[in-house]
Amino acid sequence: MEAENQQCPRCHRTFSTRKINSLSHTFAWTIAALVMLVPANLYPMMIYYTLGKPEASTILEGIATFVQFGMYPVAIVIFIASFVVPLAKIIGLFILMYHAKRASKLTVKQQGQLYHIVEFLGPWSMLDVFVVAIMAAVVNLGFLSSIEAAKGITYFGLMVVFTMLAAESFDARLLWDVQKDDVQKDDVQKENSQNENTCKHPPQPPSDVGLNQASQHDSP
Amino acid sequence: MKPATSLNNVVICRRCDAALSKPNIQPGHKAICPGCGALLFELKKNPMERTMAVSLAGLLLFFPAILLPMIGVSAAGAHNEASLIDCIVILLNSGYHIVALIVFLFTIAIPIVHLLAAFYIAVAVHFNKISQSLLVFFRSYHVLDSWTMLHVFFLGVIVSIYKIVDLAELTVGGGLISFVLLLICSTLVSVTLDHYYVWEKMEQALED
Ligand SMILES: [Zn+2]
Repeated sequence: MEAENQQCPRCHRTFSTRKINSLSHTFAWTIAALVMLVPANLYPMMIYYTLGKPEASTILEGIATFVQFGMYPVAIVIFIASFVVPLAKIIGLFILMYHAKRASKLTVKQQGQLYHIVEFLGPWSMLDVFVVAIMAAVVNLGFLSSIEAAKGITYFGLMVVFTMLAAESFDARLLWDVQKDDVQKDDVQKENSQNENTCKHPPQPPSDVGLNQASQHDSP
Repeated sequence: MKPATSLNNVVICRRCDAALSKPNIQPGHKAICPGCGALLFELKKNPMERTMAVSLAGLLLFFPAILLPMIGVSAAGAHNEASLIDCIVILLNSGYHIVALIVFLFTIAIPIVHLLAAFYIAVAVHFNKISQSLLVFFRSYHVLDSWTMLHVFFLGVIVSIYKIVDLAELTVGGGLISFVLLLICSTLVSVTLDHYYVWEKMEQALED
């Protein structure tokens, strides 16, 4: 490839149009996250002692308790942040990886949006880990009532970190390739193995996109 | 192949990767991608001074935000309060080393480095002391962006308050107030630190 030895005039790094082995890294992190998801949901996240009596609850049990007491807003926030979002992120990553290999019914724009949603949601699912950390530190009233962290929190925390790493190692540009043309697939794979660094500012003006004039807007 | 020389007139949309010819805009205006509507770049007035002030304020606020108690509870004569550091220490003491590390990294270590990097970049660009090392800083600043979780921790505090409120009497400490201010500062840094402006300045300085 000609692009191999080019340097970015801004950050002086060697260009590569892609992240190396993007797909296999993403795949590995996603599988790791999926594996963590199981113990994260089976083991309790925290143990709550009232008058010395322990009561452990998993993520879903915790949500059920909130619903029982009619605290719907918290129940919804926790349900979305610690159950729906992690699961959706993993499913979203699998969809992206699947479409990076073959053309799909989803338009490139929709896939790009899916990628940005997965990326954006990343940090928010750490919510439950922080809640447990805060509760365990604050609620410590001796025999009266106290809260302790439990096993599940480690798996949950690792799962969130793994999905974030998966999203970060995914190269969104793989999605454009498939749509542009399926024939060049082999070239893409060659490129994958050749280039070593990733440039934050890929100029690489694609020949088939052309230079359109950017529009100008007044700031509010 | 030599680096393309005409690149200075090209902007790449960060959302849809479209290559566009760079529009000439006035300070205080924004350039928008015609394809996907994403913001390409913006010219602000005095961007570096603002970043300097806000990141310095954020760095100073870290001390009270970490060390002062955030929330306290009391019931039947018993009282307990905890700061952010306490949360981490208690996790460590009960053997949750990985979780303690996660909380430490995402709420203390990375946000501090993130603010420090922003401050260093703003100072260096403002006083025109641009060196190759600034590139390293600026690149790491971008990487750290998605790993700063102050906002998530704050939502965690709110959820915890909601959970505890029925359980015991609740007090809000100075730690929480400092933390909110810190959160505002760190958000403002991301808003004020003008990436486009920094790259332009660096490019000019490194070419000479
Ligand atoms: Zn765009």
